[in-house]
Amino acid sequence: MRDNPYLFTLLSAAATVVFIVFASAGLGGLARLIVRLARRSRREQEAAFAGYLFAAPWIVGFLIFVVLPMLASLYWSFTDFRIGRPIALVGLQNFARLIVEDRGFRGSLVNTLFLTIFGLPLQVGVALLLAVLLNQRTRGERVFRATFYLPVILGFNAAVLLCWRLILNAGNGIINQVLRAVSQALPVIGYLQRGAIYVVEIVNGFFLGLTNGNFTLMERALAEGLPAANRVPLWVQSPLWSKMSVILLIVWGCGSMMLIFLAGLTAIPRELEEAAEVDGATRWKRFWKITVPLLSPYIFYNLVVGMIATLQIFEPVYVLYRDNQPLAPSAYSLVFYLYQATFRFNEIGYGSAISWLILAIIAVVTFVQFRLQNRWVGYELH
Amino acid sequence: MGLYLLLTAASILMSFPLFWMISTSLKSLEEANAPRIIWIPSQAVLDAYQHVLTDPDFLRAYLNSTFYAALALVGTLLSVAAVAYAFSRLRWPGRNLVFALMLSTLMIPAQALIVPQYVFFNALRWIGTFNPLVIPGYFAGGAAMVFLLRQAMAQIPRELDESAFIDGANHLQIWWEIVLPLIKAPLATVATFLFVSYWNNLLGPLLYAQTTRLHTLPVYVATLYNINNTTQPWPTIMAAAVLTTVPLFVVFFFAQRFILEGVVVSGLKG
Repeated sequence: MRDNPYLFTLLSAAATVVFIVFASAGLGGLARLIVRLARRSRREQEAAFAGYLFAAPWIVGFLIFVVLPMLASLYWSFTDFRIGRPIALVGLQNFARLIVEDRGFRGSLVNTLFLTIFGLPLQVGVALLLAVLLNQRTRGERVFRATFYLPVILGFNAAVLLCWRLILNAGNGIINQVLRAVSQALPVIGYLQRGAIYVVEIVNGFFLGLTNGNFTLMERALAEGLPAANRVPLWVQSPLWSKMSVILLIVWGCGSMMLIFLAGLTAIPRELEEAAEVDGATRWKRFWKITVPLLSPYIFYNLVVGMIATLQIFEPVYVLYRDNQPLAPSAYSLVFYLYQATFRFNEIGYGSAISWLILAIIAVVTFVQFRLQNRWVGYELH
Repeated sequence: MGLYLLLTAASILMSFPLFWMISTSLKSLEEANAPRIIWIPSQAVLDAYQHVLTDPDFLRAYLNSTFYAALALVGTLLSVAAVAYAFSRLRWPGRNLVFALMLSTLMIPAQALIVPQYVFFNALRWIGTFNPLVIPGYFAGGAAMVFLLRQAMAQIPRELDESAFIDGANHLQIWWEIVLPLIKAPLATVATFLFVSYWNNLLGPLLYAQTTRLHTLPVYVATLYNINNTTQPWPTIMAAAVLTTVPLFVVFFFAQRFILEGVVVSGLKG
């Protein structure tokens, strides 16, 4: 049976269904029994039975696939567990190694921080811009909407990500070819591009220095001054650019944030804008004084969800950089590092410690966001 | 007018990678690696497609992806719909607590659980099978999807199932015959999201389906690019990429009116 992977999984799926049916009936029966022992009415007994019967798949799955693994990994994070070897408790050694010694982990933490500081606001900004453009009730709005949303559906497939590897190629990639052609034809754009390269390389050099204590790349970028006229971004070839490619991909996939903003925009009463227009407020002023404050709950939602998503980035890093040594560590995300560090030598204990640290970071960041929200998020009109 | 110009420019930028994927797949190897811009191949060459479609590894990866995504989708959709029914149409002791618990799992990234789950699946001797990719979904995997369907079900008037109840229908009948037919659009949306996430899944197959025999499409396509090659076979890679994304295009084409109408968003506001 195990020889045929399809048959094996089909039979396993069937067995799972049977298991879930029995578990649900069991859980429902248990709930009914408890309610009966509490001497409640027959109606309430039936309600408890039905409720737990239908909710059981999630409850059982939650116990098996979330609670149990989390408890197990919490225990393992204090051990030196490797698959196929005896387990020994090592206290806080894993965490000490992670925080004090492990350069790879620190690097992935700084990289993820970089994506969150620069990528996330850019993504939210572009999503907001697209939503505002679409909200003008133009004809053909649906086609535009579908086009902007499509990358969300396709974007994280390894196949499409490989296409980005082709596009971002430093030498004959299409982006750099276009940049070269444009900056040759229009010197102004050439200067802008060189300025952008200058700034990006200094900032990235600084963050690289944070990861390994070596700031030479930043100093070199500073010392060289404005790059030469024919310079182009070295997207997937330089540690100064590897994270910028990931940011490009993040911004490209801003479609679901755009949908959220569109929903928020349609909820803003037209009269408000019209009244402000009559009062002589410019379009720019209306955007900042009316649209943004009223959209703040939606911006907040997108920031929270986007932050969690950014902390979980894996596919772009895998496809663009998995084999791209030695610059790969300059782009490793937390989850990619978790994958690599754990499964290279099946170090479950160490991997568990990383998982729990990631969980703690997400919890803290989300908590801080919720604490800060009443400073700037207004729910008046909702 | 300026608005249209902006929107069109943005559309071109956003969809450019897809255009480039198709264009490259039709190029010859020389044109694909040429040091000058070739927007559209001078002559459409189908060699790459022929190469990919006669590659048994690619065809098997296609079969594997289809098999696993379909099997996982059916179980996930049904269990998610059942659980959403419990959270929207039924009143039972502990409901709010369980619901709050479920929402809190939205904060837990799935990847933070892969390490212990790997040990668990290893103990079951499930590494090297499709089981770890398929079975967890059967336990209503995906709190966001449950939430979305719950919001949709909560909008159905309560009198409907009450009258059916008086007529002697049980909950299973009400769920299957009354509630589910009324939320076809949200179901289609959830099915689309689930299909997309299964079809695009990379980390799961990398961990659990490592043998060539079990490779799914994303894993297979990623192996086509080899950094040690002096020239990458870009037309072949892009032909495989186009064929990989065709199902996503098809699904999105049929589901886009539900997704873009904001079924998702109306779920969020409730």
